Order: sequence, then structure tokens, then C-alpha cells
Amino acid sequence: MKTTRTIFQQGNHKWVAIVRDPKRPGYLVDTNEYLVTHGGEGMLLDPGGSEIFPAVFSALSAEFDPSALTAIFASHQDPDICSSLALWLEFNPGLRCYVSWLWESFIPHFGGNAQTFVALPDAGQEIPLAGLPLQAVPAHYLHSSGNFNLYDKTAKILFSGDIGAALLPPGEDRLYVEDFASHIGHAEGFHRRWMGSNEAKRRWCERVSRLEIEQLCPQHGAIYRGADVQRFINWFDELPVGIVND
Amino acid sequence: MTTALTTPDSSLQAPRAGTDLLRIVRINEEIKQVVAVSFKINIMALNAIFLAKRAGTTALGFGVLSNELRAFSQDLRTCMETLSGLIHEGVDEVSLMLQDLRFNRLLREAAELAPQSRASAVLDNRDTAFGRREEHLAAVRRQLRRALDDTFRMVELGGVLAKSAKIEAAYGQGFAGALAQVSGEFDGIVEEIRTSLESLRRSAFFTG
Repeated sequence: MKTTRTIFQQGNHKWVAIVRDPKRPGYLVDTNEYLVTHGGEGMLLDPGGSEIFPAVFSALSAEFDPSALTAIFASHQDPDICSSLALWLEFNPGLRCYVSWLWESFIPHFGGNAQTFVALPDAGQEIPLAGLPLQAVPAHYLHSSGNFNLYDKTAKILFSGDIGAALLPPGEDRLYVEDFASHIGHAEGFHRRWMGSNEAKRRWCERVSRLEIEQLCPQHGAIYRGADVQRFINWFDELPVGIVND
Repeated sequence: MTTALTTPDSSLQAPRAGTDLLRIVRINEEIKQVVAVSFKINIMALNAIFLAKRAGTTALGFGVLSNELRAFSQDLRTCMETLSGLIHEGVDEVSLMLQDLRFNRLLREAAELAPQSRASAVLDNRDTAFGRREEHLAAVRRQLRRALDDTFRMVELGGVLAKSAKIEAAYGQGFAGALAQVSGEFDGIVEEIRTSLESLRRSAFFTG
């Protein structure tokens, strides 16, 4: 079973990280899921693949009623992002899934119907959660061609999807980055290969530098907080990407 | 503990459904071949009618039989359409069951890890729906078996007609050779279909 860690709380506004399953089979990439709750409603960010659904569900259930999940935010279309969609819909068939317009007709292969999906335009849009304004921030080609981050200006948290992801070796399971210099070694190969465009990367770095971010939460690996957030943005800005030595 | 957590045993059902799918896919492939051969029979029966007309009074008996063979080939086509429809229904049902089994397995694991959650109730509903699918598949299985039996009996009758046509061909005087060839081919193909159907009726999909 995964563990839950509250990374922000202010009244009924809460961010919960669902992380690290010791029973996860080694052949499945480790993922982080995030639950945002506000005013009795919940939004699950990148709910994960169907094979890890039991672990995510049980961890989430300990914190929140899964039937009260009103939305899923899918940063992009990959199976580790949202192939569990059909299973979450069992608990609330009216649940809405926010995703890039690019994947609006692809993700239904995982489940859902015409009413399930809310297509996000390329420029992004505000996504309300019981009155809490969340912002879908464009991150196209990083790595998916239709890709979004989610920003909560109240919590000062940016859910960054695959940006900032690190494939940590066994035993390294800290929630937060503690030593940026050693941590970033686990992120470099991933970013060089998975991120497809230097231009897109530059635009993203400029865009998020204008946001006030206290925690940058990737879908794999540890969370960047405090000064490490800007450290990561600067590091990423300098990193050449989209090159394969084949 | 709810019934959802104790029954049915999806670890046993999944391999069974997987095997069912493989079996029904094999039956489908066999039936597709039989359908193709049945189409050939239709053309052959038509040729037999033309040949009997050309032979005229020297092949009156063959003429009667060729008309019967033509009617048989049309009936056979109808049977094949029924079999194809049923087999597609079966393939659909078994593949949906396989999908359900995977989802149910994941929900069952979730319910075990979070016993206080609604997962057990959701699973109960899904198990009920799965039970309905199993009943539907059992009905399709029975219908398919009956349709195969009906087709088999009809093909046996076709075999008798083909053998009678072979006998009548011998009285065809100058056309005897051509009539014997047509009726012989007909008999051969009917026998081929009969053998295929016999093997299909023995499929473990029906016998378990």
C-alpha cells in the first residue's frame, strides 16, 4: 500500500501526496499521485496506471471518500498517468477528466464517455474545485505534445507532471529533495531523453518563473521545495534536451 | 467480509475465460473455413443444374438431385450465417468477461486493502453484472451447440444427396463422366464440411 503525506493544508484546502509503495513490482515505474481537496470536493492529479489502482485507492480512501472525487487531472496521455480511469469512474460515474484537447479522443480508450472529458485548450484554463481556482499551465512537448501542469496559487504548488521527474534507485524514497546536486543526477537522463524540445523547455522555464512556487511536485521521484524549485528551473533551462545518441 | 471479497474466485475465472477465448477463436477460424467451402458448394450446385439441363432426358434423376443439392447449399448458407452470428456474440462476450475479470481483480485488491471503503459494494455490483455475462455466455454456448448439431444433421443429408447424385451420374450415358466428376466433387466437399463440423462439436468449448 502507498503512503499519504499531507504537503499543504489550510482549512479544508489540502494537498496530499500519495507515494512509495513498498510492494510495487520492480517492472512498474514508480509514480506519485496527488490529491487536492477543497470544500468537500477532491481532484486527483495523474491517478496512475490500472495495475497500481489498488495501492492508490486504499491510500486515498484513508484520507478521503473516493466517491467525493469530482475531477481527475491528466497531465498527458500515458498509461502510467491515467489507465486506471475506468476504475475511478466506478466510484463516481459523473467524474470529469481534464486533459489536453489533443488526447480527448485517445484517453477514452482507458474508459469514460463523451461526458467524462473536459478538453483543455493549448493556452490552458482555470479549473475550479469547489470555488478554488486551479490553473492548467501549458507544458507542451515536455514530454507529451499535449501536456499540462497544474498550479495552485493559494498553496503555491505546481504539479509538474514529468518535468522534474527522477528515477530514484531502490532505497532512495525521501518525499522531498534533500541534496539537489546528488538528486539531479537521477533526473538528468530522464529529462535529456523524454523532453522533446529546447524551445518548449525555454518557454516553460520563463512561464513558471513568473509563478510563485514553494513546491514543485513531479509525477516520479522527490518533490522540490523552497530554493530547490528555482534551482531546478535554472538547471532545466541549461540542459540540452531532445537529443538521442543513436 | 462481503460476498464480493469471497466469491467468485477471479484467479480461477481468468484462466478459464482466457482458455474459452482461445477455444472460441479457434472455432471461429474453423467456421470461417466451412463458410468459404459452403460458398463453393453453392456454385457447384448451380453448375450441376446447368449440366443436368444440357444432358436433358439422359439425366432426369441427376436433374432432380441437382435441384435438391442447390436447395441444400442455400440452407447451408443460412446455417453458416447463424453460426457466424453466434460465434461473434460468443467472442464479444468472452472478451468483455476478460476485461471485467481484470477490473474486478484490481477492485478486489483495493477492497482488501481498504475494507471500510465503498470498493466492496462496487465489486458486488460488478460481480452481479459478471454473473449475468456468464449466464449469457452459457446461453450462447448452448445455442451454438444446437446450431452446430442442426447443421451437422443437414450436412449428413447433403452427403446422402451427393452419394445419390453419384449413382444417378452413372446413368448419364454420354454425360456420365462429367456428371460423375461434379457429383464426386460435391461429395468430397460435403464430407470435408462434415468432418469439420464433427470436430467442432467435440471442441472443449462445449465439453468443458
